[in-house]
Amino acid sequence: MKTHKLFENNSHTWIMFGRDDEKPEQIIDSNQYMVVSKNNALLMDPGGIELFSSMLAAVIKQVPAEKITHLFASHQDPDIISSLGLWDQALPCATLHSPWIWESFIRHFGMESITYDAIADVGGEIKLDNVLLEFIPAHYLHSSGNFNVYDSEAKILMTGDIGAALESIDAPLFVDDFDQHIASMKMFHQRWMPSNSAKNDWVNRVRKLDVEMLCPQHGRIFKGDDVKRFLDWFEALEVGLIEKK
Amino acid sequence: MLEQENLTQTINRPLEAGYNYFVSAAIIAAKLDQATHIAKQLSLTASNARAVALRAGERAAGFRPLTDFIDRLAEITISSSKKINFLAAILSKTAVTKIRADNAIKHFNLVFEKAHKSPFINSLDKVFEQCKEKQQYLDIQYKRQIGELSEELDMLSSELRNAVILATLSRVEASQAGVEYQDALINVANNVESAASEIKDYIKYSQQIVLTLQ
Repeated sequence: MKTHKLFENNSHTWIMFGRDDEKPEQIIDSNQYMVVSKNNALLMDPGGIELFSSMLAAVIKQVPAEKITHLFASHQDPDIISSLGLWDQALPCATLHSPWIWESFIRHFGMESITYDAIADVGGEIKLDNVLLEFIPAHYLHSSGNFNVYDSEAKILMTGDIGAALESIDAPLFVDDFDQHIASMKMFHQRWMPSNSAKNDWVNRVRKLDVEMLCPQHGRIFKGDDVKRFLDWFEALEVGLIEKK
Repeated sequence: MLEQENLTQTINRPLEAGYNYFVSAAIIAAKLDQATHIAKQLSLTASNARAVALRAGERAAGFRPLTDFIDRLAEITISSSKKINFLAAILSKTAVTKIRADNAIKHFNLVFEKAHKSPFINSLDKVFEQCKEKQQYLDIQYKRQIGELSEELDMLSSELRNAVILATLSRVEASQAGVEYQDALINVANNVESAASEIKDYIKYSQQIVLTLQ
């Protein structure tokens, strides 16, 4: 599992985990993110069961276990949060922030000790020490209850499946040629995302934010001008399509 | 007939070695659920026998008390099967929780292996200890529940031994009930014998599974 520091200032750090070369071949590679502030840490989309030991081993190299006080699951998918039953044993005092509509579903992964903080449809926020993180609605992209995490100070938007690309394990961490990258993400967005209006609604919402890095849960991170390129491309893309063979 | 063939196939099939504990416990619950159905039929047989014996009058006077024993046998089988079912369901649940605890320990061990040089690796010690304590507790619970299940299966098995005597006595009394009722009462005796035999097969199969759990 690779670890990469995306941002650091006096108050907090953003770390990305991914490109796990120990994962079973047939499961999709995923990016996990962590924000570390003075006394707390938030682990975002911590991943599936298959990834748990690699993930915890990578995390524990950065912070002590008791510092991870918050978890975030953008939605209910197994590659996002099926490891919950194991995190529940590792971090019994943590709080999981996730869409309200998925609470009774996500609990099926096993949750005895962790507290569930249900995020309302309109979104919400969390303060890690003095660091404010916002839960930005991204419903129907692709999950019907879905949120991004925005950090206005770091100008980072963690977008879950939006911006995701299906790529090999050795793919670079950042998009280096946007036009070339389209081929890796077009089908994913057309097939997984069900609603053009939800998509455009999200694009309009995100255009109002100051975003320097757009960080999806699969594939590469968009940086600088590629963030705007992605928003333009996504806005123009027709979604909810099944490719005809 | 087909049912009997299926049952024989099930009973004769070698025990699958690869069953997880919770699957095995669920199989026991399913077998005893089938035993309950047979016991309910046995209870109906007792009611029919009582009616036939009543019609046969004095000639079947010796058969009538036997119907109470058939009834009692059915009642004991039903209540014991229900208890075994309940115990197996609890055991299955404990087994699932135990597998999850074992799984967590396995994952933690991997983390200790992968991150042994991490400066924060000791921060996992407390939760790891808690997981091990939970695992030990579940282990004790699991063994105790297997003991209870095994005991109940043995108890029911021993109760069913009386069914053979009951069937023999029923045949003797049926032979004295006169031509008109003899066949019906012998049929009752046969039903008792075959029902008990089927239930015993289920119990035997369950007992074999319990042995693999220990």
